[in-house]
Amino acid sequence: MATVTGDDGDGDGDDGNALERSARRAMERPWTVYRAAFTFGVVAFVLITLFPFYWLLVLALTPLTNVNNIDFEAFGLPLPVPVPQGFNPAAFVEVFRLVPFHRFMFNSIFIGLVTTAIVLVIASLAGYAFGRLEFRGRRVLMVLFLAISYFPPVTFAIPIFRYFTGGVHLFTIPGVTAVYSPNWFNTPGALITPFSALFMPLAIFILTTFYSQIPDGLEDAARIEGTTRIGALFRVIVPLSAPGVATAGVLTFISIYNEFFFSFLLTDGQAQSWAPIVWGILNYQGQYQQYYNLMAAASLIGVIPVAVLVVLAQEKIVSGLTSGGLKE
Amino acid sequence: MATESESSRSATRRYSPTYWVENMTDEQFAYFMLLPAFALVGAFALWPLWETFQMSLHADNLTGSGYVGEFVGIENYVAILTGEMTALLGAPFFDLDQPLQSALSVTLIYTAISVTLELIVGFGMALILDKEFYGRRWVRVAILVPWAVPIAIQGMIFYLIFLPSVGFGTQAMHAIGLFSDTPFINSADLLIMVIIADVWKTSAFIALIVLAGLQSIDRELYRVGRVAGASAWQRFRYITFPLVVPTLLVALLFRTIQSMRIFGIIRTIGGSGGCSTLPSLSCLVVTTFQGSGRYATAAALAFITAVVVAIVAGIYIVGFADVEGGAI
Amino acid sequence: MGDVTLDGITKRYDDVVAVDDVNIHIEDGEFVTLVGPSGCGKSTTLEIVAGLTNPSGGTVTIADRDVTRLPPKDRDISMVFQNIALFPHMNVRKNISFGLRLRDFDSEETERRVQRAAEILQLEGMLDRMPDELSGGQQQRVGIGRAIVREPEVFLMDEPLANLDAKLRVHMRTELQRLHDELETTILYVTHDQAEAMTMSDRIAVLNHGELQQFAPPLVCYNEPANEFVAGFIGSPSMNFLEGEMGGERVETPHFSVGVDPAAVDVGADGPVTVGIRPEDIYLRQTAATVEQPTDAVEATVDVLEPMGDEIFVYLLLGDAADDGGPTVEGADEASARSDQLLMSVEPDVRLESGERVEVVLDRDRVHLFDTGGDARAHGVAEGSEAPTEVNADGGEGR
Repeated sequence: MATVTGDDGDGDGDDGNALERSARRAMERPWTVYRAAFTFGVVAFVLITLFPFYWLLVLALTPLTNVNNIDFEAFGLPLPVPVPQGFNPAAFVEVFRLVPFHRFMFNSIFIGLVTTAIVLVIASLAGYAFGRLEFRGRRVLMVLFLAISYFPPVTFAIPIFRYFTGGVHLFTIPGVTAVYSPNWFNTPGALITPFSALFMPLAIFILTTFYSQIPDGLEDAARIEGTTRIGALFRVIVPLSAPGVATAGVLTFISIYNEFFFSFLLTDGQAQSWAPIVWGILNYQGQYQQYYNLMAAASLIGVIPVAVLVVLAQEKIVSGLTSGGLKE
Repeated sequence: MATESESSRSATRRYSPTYWVENMTDEQFAYFMLLPAFALVGAFALWPLWETFQMSLHADNLTGSGYVGEFVGIENYVAILTGEMTALLGAPFFDLDQPLQSALSVTLIYTAISVTLELIVGFGMALILDKEFYGRRWVRVAILVPWAVPIAIQGMIFYLIFLPSVGFGTQAMHAIGLFSDTPFINSADLLIMVIIADVWKTSAFIALIVLAGLQSIDRELYRVGRVAGASAWQRFRYITFPLVVPTLLVALLFRTIQSMRIFGIIRTIGGSGGCSTLPSLSCLVVTTFQGSGRYATAAALAFITAVVVAIVAGIYIVGFADVEGGAI
Repeated sequence: MGDVTLDGITKRYDDVVAVDDVNIHIEDGEFVTLVGPSGCGKSTTLEIVAGLTNPSGGTVTIADRDVTRLPPKDRDISMVFQNIALFPHMNVRKNISFGLRLRDFDSEETERRVQRAAEILQLEGMLDRMPDELSGGQQQRVGIGRAIVREPEVFLMDEPLANLDAKLRVHMRTELQRLHDELETTILYVTHDQAEAMTMSDRIAVLNHGELQQFAPPLVCYNEPANEFVAGFIGSPSMNFLEGEMGGERVETPHFSVGVDPAAVDVGADGPVTVGIRPEDIYLRQTAATVEQPTDAVEATVDVLEPMGDEIFVYLLLGDAADDGGPTVEGADEASARSDQLLMSVEPDVRLESGERVEVVLDRDRVHLFDTGGDARAHGVAEGSEAPTEVNADGGEGR
């Protein structure tokens, strides 16, 4: 994009000598303009992307009494950005007192980790089958799994909501008892199970790609040396596909931590009912809506786990996100 | 070397589960490995889909003990699509007189605008990240962090930016002649906020996929272009762009499918009234079954949502086939 | 003890029969090689013995135990692979001890065995390296080390030397033989290289199209091939084959005839036969004094000479066809093509010119006759030559 201005000097040279001159210079030495435009672009993107976080910080540090007059000036000098009006780091402690925000975060992280573990194990088995074995219906089944991630969450939500609020009659063991669905509303199970199912396809897709690349000989060698087939999967194929497993794991965890729809629907919003971070935020918005500094502090704290993951695992995230786009 | 114990041990193994797993053919073993994934996906994705569909073919049951009433075939669908249901829903399904209050148009308008903007911003980001420069890794982290921010926090951030008493956003919008004094209950204002929030969060996704596409282009082609005398713009227009289009379409397809699910961001920026200010399709489903307990109607709406998404996705896929066939 | 029996082993894929009713009995401590062209079913057979592939029919017995339905880990075997298949995420020590650790050997015993294997294979000092830090030969020695530490009943080797360069391959051949002498464990070895099979094995099993052709000691396969396929496959360069007609006590080929002795050959059945003669059993007439039972002189023209250093391969054109500019041979492997060509090997000091007319004789004691089905009918057609015996009495019936 930047290169457009660099080379097409004729687009905007209708007024003034200076502009004409610079346009000519640009045509002679496109690199200077190119570099300037490029640097400007980079800086702009980074600032725009990070500015909202800065805004949260400003708001969180500003004492509650001042939040209504945050200004773009400090010590009487105008600034291009807002600055905190006072300094109140205590908001970052207060945020855990008013609402048990730490519990909401714990709930989210716990649910995220357990679901990721389940997804990785089950998707590994499926990825092994799809990636390393030839069988009838392989393509059809693969497409079926991928099709799951196409459907909007609302198409699953109502039955799952009913299911976990209990009383759905599943089947009857004749003469013994009728079996009803478990009342898991307000327990981690109500989120872990649907999450496992709905985020599984992506993990299967990533793991299939990685597992199919491990040479057959290594699996054979492991089996000869004394593992079972499943043992060879977990002792040789999975360790050798560690980058792929990490990619699938990171993406699954972030997806779950970020999820809104089911997290919103399948709990009553209380921290002790295993409500995830969605409700920690919504609680502030609903019950404590004058505490804007705490809302900002809570949001910043809530971002930390995923921000750390992005910094540590950005290569994995990038490869995972793009593999889907480039494959099919 | 052959010990007695070893042979007797294997004799007892003959009846163990390992024994019959190890003796499966590849095909049997593949199905065996897929079993857990299938059980999970069957129970928490396929079964709910089927249940939702079943429900949608019954009448609402607002007084009795069951969730739905008698079988009515496609009556719910007819009622929703002809507008008969409008009075019972929180908002009309489709009404051209008030496009920002009717679910279908809200969803489509939102999707079209936000995906277009994301495409432009994302493409720009990708062109920047395609260059080698100092600190590229950190720029990539910076644009990736918003992607990893939970939807609830994303909503909170923009709520705090546009909250008239606290943030600067609404003032800024006033300065350029947009926004009312009560932006959170104004459909157009909320739509703009939601779009800005979405562009901020998900442009990086498009950027990464386009970037992967860019980096898969043979650099030799640019040299060929240069030798042939193509300007930077011409190289972009005739080499880069056509070669990225297929990847780009995949990225757009993913983004479109996701955008059409919009719910969480409306709910967090707009608060509990968000869904009545800007009723998206998913909003309508949730308010219909949570608010008024019309499970059957909600189910029918959910399925209509899926069909709408399918139609839009279908348009992409047809377009994709054209590109593959060399139309561009 | 470590004997292996394949009884009626068959493997069918959808519409292809990869292995067809193979019967082999391997004695304890024997070095047996499965050899044949690619696609002959030798690797599938080995995988069936290993338990990596389930047979469609038949049984595998190892050390008097029917292991047909047992997984590989319970068969008391170990295997060396063509692509070496070292675990790249483990160092040499971990690779070698992998099977021991899976079997819960105590660490002292594990270390003792690893050290011993390292000693035998000259891998001392490399135990802490990763596989990608080793040369190809070292990697394959680690692969062998992994196979021997478990001290199994049987070693299975799937073309273990195929990926090594030529010099290393020859060296590793002798290493493997030394190892076999030292360990005295049964080895079932697969290769497509007949020279490898000939030099290392106690017995070789020649396979083609999934069927066992012959199962016998190398020299028996060489001297008394059960059929035309074995005769052509074993020995380099290949045996010459010529179409002929049996009549009375002679076999007539288009360009010469060979007298056959009724004591050596069943002369009753007249009709078409194939005459086979190895290049080293053809002599120039002037140097044929050592041949006890030569044929009549055969006239031929020298076409192409291939000096190999220790011998010269001479491509001969039979009869008067020499002048018509017929196709010349392209290489030793092509010499089995049925035509009027004959490949002969002579001492390196023999002086011959291309185009020169020569007279050659065949050693009648070394002439093979095959019937139209390809089965051997006689090995040696002179008086005193022995009629073919059932060389593969061990179960392989060689068609």
